[in-house]
Amino acid sequence: MLKVEEEVVKTLKQTFPEYVVEAKVQREKRVTVVVKREGLVEIARFLRDSLQFDHVASVSGVDYPEKNELMVVYHIWSIPKKVLIALKTSVPRDNPHLSSLISVWEGVNYFERETWEMFGIVFDGHPNLSRFLLPEDWNKGFPFRKDFKLRTKPE
Amino acid sequence: MSIMRVRWGPQHPVSGQWAFWLDVDGDIVVNMEPDIGYTHRGIEKVAENRTYIQNVPVIERTSVFDAGNIVFGYVQAVEELMGIEIPERAKYIRTIVGEMSRIVSHLYGLGLLAIAVGFETMLMWFINDRELFLDLFEMLTGARITYSFFIPGGVLHDLPQGFYDEAMRRLDYFERRLKDYWKMFFLNRTFVTRTRGVGVLKREDAIRLGVVGPNLRASGVEADVRKDEPYAAYDQIDFIVPTEKEGDAYARGGVRFHELEQSVSIIRQALQKIPDGRVRVKVPITPTPPKGEAYSRVETARGEIGYYIISDGSDRPYRVKISAPSFRNLLAMPFLSRNVPMADIPTIYLSLDLIPLDVDR
Repeated sequence: MLKVEEEVVKTLKQTFPEYVVEAKVQREKRVTVVVKREGLVEIARFLRDSLQFDHVASVSGVDYPEKNELMVVYHIWSIPKKVLIALKTSVPRDNPHLSSLISVWEGVNYFERETWEMFGIVFDGHPNLSRFLLPEDWNKGFPFRKDFKLRTKPE
Repeated sequence: MSIMRVRWGPQHPVSGQWAFWLDVDGDIVVNMEPDIGYTHRGIEKVAENRTYIQNVPVIERTSVFDAGNIVFGYVQAVEELMGIEIPERAKYIRTIVGEMSRIVSHLYGLGLLAIAVGFETMLMWFINDRELFLDLFEMLTGARITYSFFIPGGVLHDLPQGFYDEAMRRLDYFERRLKDYWKMFFLNRTFVTRTRGVGVLKREDAIRLGVVGPNLRASGVEADVRKDEPYAAYDQIDFIVPTEKEGDAYARGGVRFHELEQSVSIIRQALQKIPDGRVRVKVPITPTPPKGEAYSRVETARGEIGYYIISDGSDRPYRVKISAPSFRNLLAMPFLSRNVPMADIPTIYLSLDLIPLDVDR
């Protein structure tokens, strides 16, 4: 029943044994792959060209202060295969640099820009990392990180 | 000629709460850059600080035009985290409300498209017929626009007495009106000449840019979450996914119109097939889903919405990512606005059915 999903996991494990940390079928139509950040672009290109993952669904940042890392999750949907892959990678919190995937999927453009703005993850190679959702003169840090607390009382 | 930079919005009557930087050479736009964030409320951050149930009305504010379908995805993701299966009757009621919400949203979107081509009469018609369904929402949920009707575990209450007859009566009337729309609007020469061949989005460009929903289907891609990954009662209902090949503004309007016809048929079938039984399962008032993550997809009126929720085992989500349809369609806007006359910008913008609320979150 989960033939397509298992095929994807198997192919990834065989092709990139040095980069894939973990790969599993989460449930029907959902595959999760954790990769090292050095191999991200290579794996993304392989997913697009050989496994038909062509439609960007979402890019999310997640902050884990206790582990001192920021996780980036690329959700990519495959229109022919009808499977969603979650491509996860982590960057250290004090040096948050990651290669941009804009050369692979153009659809990640605004998502990466938003993630840069909200989490401070610098996507190297992104053509336009400038203020997007926040005001131009914003200087209070990165609002979606866990150490940014919401105001509970009026100042 | 020298290139001039013009700011279009946020006070422009058509623009909505955002702005576009247009680089114009005479009357031709050579480049455009969206300036968004005027309605950014940080809903994703707010959601981390509230319990799963408290989040329902907050998430709904992502896009109140389509309140039913927006909450749908969030509620499904929470149910997946908790591992609960909702009763059959609740699935059908959710399908009915979701489709009514789609009709309401499409009528609004088509009305704005009519304004873009200078056809205000049509907006009056659409807004007037939108009332048919707003009244049904009021009868069913007590509210007209923001009803917070879906909760983890099912829906708030059962269909009220007389809902079946009232809904059927209104659907019959609405179906007759749809024929009028087609004659008045889609066969209107002004509308056809102003939208045919404007903002052509080719199939491969639509996929490359990650465009979703009716805009993707108007470019000839048959992708609909209701078919690809059936949720609620969509797998037991017979309907087709309308597509067009042209990919221009007219095709995007046409896909929305044909979706209205399909929605009417879906609501009819759901009302006839709905089984008896309970409408929700018991869920604690502060649910604490186990550690894990879920990604749920739902087809809203503007396209697929994705909710990525991470739970750390407490009563509040660790992270909620909303991948909103208008945010994903926004990338098509600068792409389509290159080398077009400035007068076509409102048509392109409103044919993509972008709303700033949804983009900013």
